[in-house]
Amino acid sequence: MSLQQTPTPVGTSPKMPAERPTGIKLFFKKCKEQKALLLMSLPFVIWLFIFRYVPLYGWTMAFQDFRPARPLLEQDWAGMKHFVFLFTDPRFFEVLRNTLAMSFINLVLGFVTAIGLAILLNELRNLTFKRIVQTISYMPHFLSWVVAAGLVSAALSVESGIINIILNNLGLIENNIMWLGVPEYFWGIIGAADVWKNVGWNTIIYLAAITMIDTEQYEAAEIDGASRLQRIWYITLPGMRPVIVILLIMNLGYILESGFEAQYLLMNPMNMDYAENLDIFVLRYGINMGNFSLATAAGIFKTVVSFIFLFSANSLAKRLGEARLF
Amino acid sequence: MFKKLLFLMALSLLLVFAACSNDSESTTNTNDGDDSSDAADTELESVTFHFFNAAAPGRDIETKDTVIGEMLYERTGVNFRLEHIVGDINQRIGTMVAGGIYPDVIVPDAELPTLMDAEALIPLDDLLEEYGQNILEAYADYLHMFRHDDGKIYHIPFGPTVNEFVPNPNIDQGAFWVQLGVLRDAGFPEINTLDEYMDLIISYAEANPEIDGMRTIPFTGLTYDWRFFAFSNVPNHLAGYPNDGGVMIDMETHEASVYADSEYAKEWLRVLNELNANGHLDQEMFVMNYDEYLAKLSSGRVLGFFDYGWQFGNARNAIRDAGNPDREYIALPVVFDGVEKDQYLDPPAFVGNRGIAITTAAENPERIVQFWNELITEEMQRYVMWGFEDEHYSVNEEGRFYQTEEQMALLENQDFRQEFGMTVFEWNWPRLNGSFSDGNAIEARRQPEVALLAYRDYEKEVLEAYGVNTFAEMFAQPDERPWYPAWSITIEQGSPEHIFQERSSELLRRHYARIVLADPTDFENEWNDFVEAYRALDVEGYENFFTEKVQARVNGEW
Amino acid sequence: MKFLQKLAGKRRGIDDLVFDSVNVVFMIFLCIVMLYPMVNTLAVALNEATDTIRGGIYLWPRSFTWYNFEHVFGESQLMHAGMISVLRTVIGTAVSVFCTAMVAYTISRKEFVLKKFVTIAFVLTMYLNGGLIPTYLLMRELSLIGTFWIYIIPGLIGVFNLIVIRSFIEGLPDTIFESAKIDGAGEFTQFFKIALPLCIPVIATVSLFVAVGQWNQWFDVFIYNSHKPELSTLQYELMKILQNSNASMTSGNAASAFTQAQGGVTETVTPQSIRAAMTIIVSVPIICVYPFLQKYFVKGLTLGGVKG
Repeated sequence: MSLQQTPTPVGTSPKMPAERPTGIKLFFKKCKEQKALLLMSLPFVIWLFIFRYVPLYGWTMAFQDFRPARPLLEQDWAGMKHFVFLFTDPRFFEVLRNTLAMSFINLVLGFVTAIGLAILLNELRNLTFKRIVQTISYMPHFLSWVVAAGLVSAALSVESGIINIILNNLGLIENNIMWLGVPEYFWGIIGAADVWKNVGWNTIIYLAAITMIDTEQYEAAEIDGASRLQRIWYITLPGMRPVIVILLIMNLGYILESGFEAQYLLMNPMNMDYAENLDIFVLRYGINMGNFSLATAAGIFKTVVSFIFLFSANSLAKRLGEARLF
Repeated sequence: MFKKLLFLMALSLLLVFAACSNDSESTTNTNDGDDSSDAADTELESVTFHFFNAAAPGRDIETKDTVIGEMLYERTGVNFRLEHIVGDINQRIGTMVAGGIYPDVIVPDAELPTLMDAEALIPLDDLLEEYGQNILEAYADYLHMFRHDDGKIYHIPFGPTVNEFVPNPNIDQGAFWVQLGVLRDAGFPEINTLDEYMDLIISYAEANPEIDGMRTIPFTGLTYDWRFFAFSNVPNHLAGYPNDGGVMIDMETHEASVYADSEYAKEWLRVLNELNANGHLDQEMFVMNYDEYLAKLSSGRVLGFFDYGWQFGNARNAIRDAGNPDREYIALPVVFDGVEKDQYLDPPAFVGNRGIAITTAAENPERIVQFWNELITEEMQRYVMWGFEDEHYSVNEEGRFYQTEEQMALLENQDFRQEFGMTVFEWNWPRLNGSFSDGNAIEARRQPEVALLAYRDYEKEVLEAYGVNTFAEMFAQPDERPWYPAWSITIEQGSPEHIFQERSSELLRRHYARIVLADPTDFENEWNDFVEAYRALDVEGYENFFTEKVQARVNGEW
Repeated sequence: MKFLQKLAGKRRGIDDLVFDSVNVVFMIFLCIVMLYPMVNTLAVALNEATDTIRGGIYLWPRSFTWYNFEHVFGESQLMHAGMISVLRTVIGTAVSVFCTAMVAYTISRKEFVLKKFVTIAFVLTMYLNGGLIPTYLLMRELSLIGTFWIYIIPGLIGVFNLIVIRSFIEGLPDTIFESAKIDGAGEFTQFFKIALPLCIPVIATVSLFVAVGQWNQWFDVFIYNSHKPELSTLQYELMKILQNSNASMTSGNAASAFTQAQGGVTETVTPQSIRAAMTIIVSVPIICVYPFLQKYFVKGLTLGGVKG
């Protein structure tokens, strides 16, 4: 199949007919008019259906005691057992609290820092310098969390950690702090580590958004005597707004995904009350125990929560007149 | 320029669709038995099997590319293409079983029951009878330990002890370790109890508050992630039991009891609590990760700690390279006051629920059994464990094997071991433990002649001071425990026992740290909190499970 | 100060001066913080493994060696695996970005009758997961297991990228498309001639995302193709070497600590040192390719010329 063929000009411009057919008729009429658009998207909708929707039959696993050796329909049915296990675990609410808290902190910090850095980068006048800074800023993204967590742990060490040394020299603390030993600090540490590792990378998309802003606007503003901050506030930020809103909505859907590698690697007996999140829980009682059913049940739970957040955020955006996802 | 790019994209898209429509090559395993031109044996058609090792990572090579593998290939015409696991075993075996795409030979590790459930393994009894007499002979005393419920053999475990059991002259198991310098300073005292041990390191620490300009750390421990067991297993060892996996087995009644909330555990935590209160415990004991732990040991400022020898081998190498013998660690058999004798050394153990198996995908499984049958001969085992006579080891007038310094150095070289085939065949294949019929140890490292020659002067000094020949002699001989090790009792995935283990390890991690770091006046409260939480789990069910299994084993039912 | 001035560039007033100076100083600080991990990783990768265990490696190797890299490159499979990695990255990125952009274009058209349906159908899948085993069985049914196409087809369209591109296209002024339509341009023409060229910054961005994702991927090799050594990728081979270094220190060889050759330092590897070498090996190509994409989203793009 070749996608290169140029379309026939027939019916590609959807001029509204004067007389409006209704319902299914209208639908088919429109379809006919928009053949090209349909041709461009339907093959991929079929792909989507096969690769993303068909495997969902696996959700039945959540209601079974799934054993890989048997076909899906010959499994032992277990009813809601795995959901009950999940929701009645004595630590479930603590785990959920940690997940939401870390996710929320990462979301807010991640957005604010990435947008901020993108704007500041954009304000650099020396293009070479701007490029160098930008390249360097995204490097930590390529460290695996194992390496990154090792560096974080070293930086937070009681005796030789750079953070304690700096705070000490600045006279901000008297005794060195055992950062990873205080449970209450854990969320903050994860948030900061996440920013450090990913802020440069997350900036890229905002930089792309900024390039789409018409430079004429800046020139006009300059003529009007707008200050730097005014320009940022009235031109750059609004220009990025649709992208920000869209990303925010999408990420709100991921509210139960706070990541697990960083938490898992930085977790220790002293801070685990604040460190364990849903993914770690599922790892321990699902994947590590070969319990695919529990992992699936947790996945369904996450999907439900995701959808609630997704649709709420989307309709809120709609009501506020912002860009929205769908 | 842009058009070109587009064209390229469209082209590659086309390519994808074209390719995915016809590239439906069957992926089931293939025995390409045709690259036989170089096989010396003309009788046997050469055959290559796909060998999947889910138990350990390793290099994915073909066995005939190693010296030993080539010898076996010449004799049997059988070659294996090795594949080692890289990611998570549950995911890999789960998809393998669900999809029904199997290798020919598999080492499924803990996933053996999953493969049995899928009926993916073939029974070996008839094949062994016909082609595997050497195997049957070597495993004769052990066959009942790995027969499945239907009375058939589906997998072959590793390392049955044949002839005499040879204990390991060195300590790679658990022990309380102390710096050689500390011992020398105190005149090599006899240290048997925990109190003596702690007094020793504390008095040294008080006399030497700094080592190489760094603050001395009298005592620390490894608590990171799953390695936490190196901390929570200690009460068991202090009470004079070997590592039986979370439970102590009574020698008389063979009843299993957990020790996590026992008086032993309480006493161990109390000692640490006291150390902490007096500033003698490493304050980072519960926050450092594994690398930081190794770094700390390597720095030479840690006087003592408990750990299993195999967990800090890298730190030991680093200390040795640094060249100050006083900072090297010596293992001590420390127990609680009043405990008769230590049981740190493992009794002869046979792990029956792991092994190697042949899947239904294998064509000509008898060829595989023939290969194993050849591999398990004393001759081949000598090549695997020792190498070639005179080249890799020497034999003295009494017929004892030993290694010269050059030979030892050669055998230490990982690349050599790989190319020779030692790395490939030394585990995860049918193999022997114990000794050859001529009395030499199967494993070179267990041969006293080898161990003794490797000792350096300062190590000999220690051995001399304590009047022993090997470090293992400082420890008590292991008592006979016919069920040992209880940790090889199969615990079904996701079973109540499995979940108990996970819950219990989580509770221990959380509470033990709190108890140790508590103000001594809060110690009792913290301890009681823990006991309450721990007893809320189904401890009894777990103990009963083990009691039942251990007693069955004692009665010969494995 | 001169240096700072140069970096800060021309300025017009005292406000600007303060702003620029603060900004430049902040950026330099940022660079130090962000550069350190790579420098440290490089130092560890070039330091003797056993020496690294002692800790305290910061900016320079203490005991220099190439051995960690030699060990990694000693794996004969590596070159072939590297080629597969490059192939999957190039083909995967080209195909994926093209398809994603095309679908993004269709759902950016306000009049598209299936706009809402297609959008929602895609968006929902971001939060839906059938699980590993059903996915595996599907791939088996489609005969994708053990083929190169398993790297390309299942990840053909990234929904995140789809939405990002869509919102950029939506941000283009309607007038451009209107005037094209009046000139008789069809949807394909509008897509190729207007949407794609004007969205170069976002196309570059998305290409980077997809390419890095492809380059770093190893899980699909593990699940679907680990029995096919000829389709192994660089990341997967490196994972193997890494896990191997883990094993050589823990497996039955504990005696080696005792029987180590007298004197002399043995050359050995540890997970820590291999991981560092690995990080450098996989990052260098990305960092090298980066500037070519970077120019598209760091330099501003003027829409003025095309604006109708």
